[in-house]
Amino acid sequence: MHRLTLAALAAVALALIAIAASLAVGAQDIPVRDVWEAFFAYDASNPSHQIVRELRVDRTVIGIAAGAALAVAGALTQSLTRNPLADPGLLGLNAGAALAIVLGTVVGGVASLAPQIVLAFVGAAAAGLVAYGVGATGAGAAAPARLVLAGAAVTALLTAVTAAIVVAQPFALNQLRFWLAGSLTGRTGIPVGPLAVSVAIAIALGLLAVRPLSAIALGDHAAAALGTRAGLTRVHVLATVIVLAGLATALAGPIAFVGLAVPHLVRALVGPRIGWLLVLSIPLGAAVVLLGDVAGRIVARPGEISVGVTTALFGGILLAVLARRMWTVTP
Amino acid sequence: MTLSRPTWVSLILAVIALAAVSAAVTYGQTALPWWDSVRSAVGIPTNSPADFIVGQLRAPRTYTATLVGALLAGSGALLQSVARNPLASPDLLGVTQGAAAAAVAAIWAFGTTSSLALAPAAVTGALLTSALIVGVGWSRGIQPLRLIVAGIGIGFVAASITTYLLTAIPERLVPQAYLWTIGSTNARVWDHVAIAAGAIAATVPVALWLERRLRVLEMGDDLAAGLGVRPVRLRLAAIALGALAAGLAAALTGPIGFVALVAPAIARRLVRTEGIVLVPSIIAGAALTATADLFAREIFAPTQVPIGLFTAAIGAPYLLYLLRRARGWNS
Repeated sequence: MHRLTLAALAAVALALIAIAASLAVGAQDIPVRDVWEAFFAYDASNPSHQIVRELRVDRTVIGIAAGAALAVAGALTQSLTRNPLADPGLLGLNAGAALAIVLGTVVGGVASLAPQIVLAFVGAAAAGLVAYGVGATGAGAAAPARLVLAGAAVTALLTAVTAAIVVAQPFALNQLRFWLAGSLTGRTGIPVGPLAVSVAIAIALGLLAVRPLSAIALGDHAAAALGTRAGLTRVHVLATVIVLAGLATALAGPIAFVGLAVPHLVRALVGPRIGWLLVLSIPLGAAVVLLGDVAGRIVARPGEISVGVTTALFGGILLAVLARRMWTVTP
Repeated sequence: MTLSRPTWVSLILAVIALAAVSAAVTYGQTALPWWDSVRSAVGIPTNSPADFIVGQLRAPRTYTATLVGALLAGSGALLQSVARNPLASPDLLGVTQGAAAAAVAAIWAFGTTSSLALAPAAVTGALLTSALIVGVGWSRGIQPLRLIVAGIGIGFVAASITTYLLTAIPERLVPQAYLWTIGSTNARVWDHVAIAAGAIAATVPVALWLERRLRVLEMGDDLAAGLGVRPVRLRLAAIALGALAAGLAAALTGPIGFVALVAPAIARRLVRTEGIVLVPSIIAGAALTATADLFAREIFAPTQVPIGLFTAAIGAPYLLYLLRRARGWNS
């Protein structure tokens, strides 16, 4: 079989396994057979069926949507900046969205979801544009470390402001601390379906950028020669990334490193093909977030470790390893 | 008599620091006779409200902030000299986050939030983290960007551990523990001042001893070796001392960001040198935190803002400016 087809099948299979695990594993383990029946032979008196349908389905859908959104956003950012260390979380987009939502909730009294999502977009956009403007334009634009450091500066500032606000509001702190950790269960009663559909639409818009991004990968001059309008592509891709990161943060809180790690995984499978990179980021992003969430449920049983924590644990180590590989000392 | 440039820069910075400290002890929400405040601040009983308001509230807090600023700046000066990069600082390298994670782990394990009890944990965390960063970032010598990007990754790992612990500790401890994510000088007592002074007394002489050798090392490894300096040992010693100072600082006030980055840069610019200038850096750090603490206390009075918010508000834009300006990224 063709290698790329094989990679795609493996990614989808992994995502399906992750979905099954996310539905079955938890404080109350449920046999896969019961999970199956909860969908196709629902028995309202069976508590296992109720757990699956009322708790774990929402959680799993949030995981799929947030994971796919973050992974595609990361793949888009890495392709646009030609920087293998680019990640919406590292760039401060999640921190910006989180601060905007905290500001809206605590200071502005915004309780409903729709304005919160708008706030998340605004925050993500502001943070991302500052980090991108400082780190990825002008002389030395392609230097990987510069973008990471610009993102670290923006993240540090935004996190400090967020912490200052929530520390002053103990009541809000108790509500927000789980969501701020990046969690698939931190928010209850949000319209999961429409949000997941929005993520799907935004991903589809991102996929439209495959051709110009492939041209940009050849360099700005070659891209111009091929008729690519670099400015337009940049606006298109950045807007998509901001929407994806904002949606993911509104759904699951600030989760970092999925956007860094997944594209590296995918590239190991398919090489430097941007179309495949974006498409396979969808199932693998979903799988990574769901498996991170499931791991968090197993390790700290009967409690849970938020998925934002498990992904940051592995992602931080990955960043350190990448740094070690990228800068080797020439004696 | 002519003074050398570092000496008069140090003197001017010392005057600024002293002015900031005086302002911090004499000015506040409760108006007090100036002379009573000054006497209370140096421990002379006045039998007036100043004995409590200045002697027990304002003075220990201000002194702790000032001394912690000195510790952080010294740490930053050492690390920047070792990495030969103005971006190296304990907070970007993740040392501070390591200290905070260890402190929050101690809160979680022992149920106390007394920062005196947490000091050993914070120092251990800082030293372990720096060992980890050196382990990852060191191969056949130091490559600054590798060290820094690896440090950002490890800092994220430590921060995610903190985030998890913040969701796992009992609710009543959360507001106190959350301060470990930003740094606060609120409610410091004389014990803190004593520890901070002891930390300065223990680390500064060693740092001064190292500084002379680091200056030699800044001229190149071969020349330094010829002059009897052992480069590897010296670098490891300087990193260990820098981590120790940052850990002690974090133990006293939590992670106050960016001081270690900014203060040595101010000192170098005023002295007009590229190399390490320890004494001016330390005094600049003291002046910086004394001022920031006064602002944190009074700007939204009677509501207090964590000092880390102010240092981040100054430091993050400076870091962005530094990134914007720097050349020679593609190393």
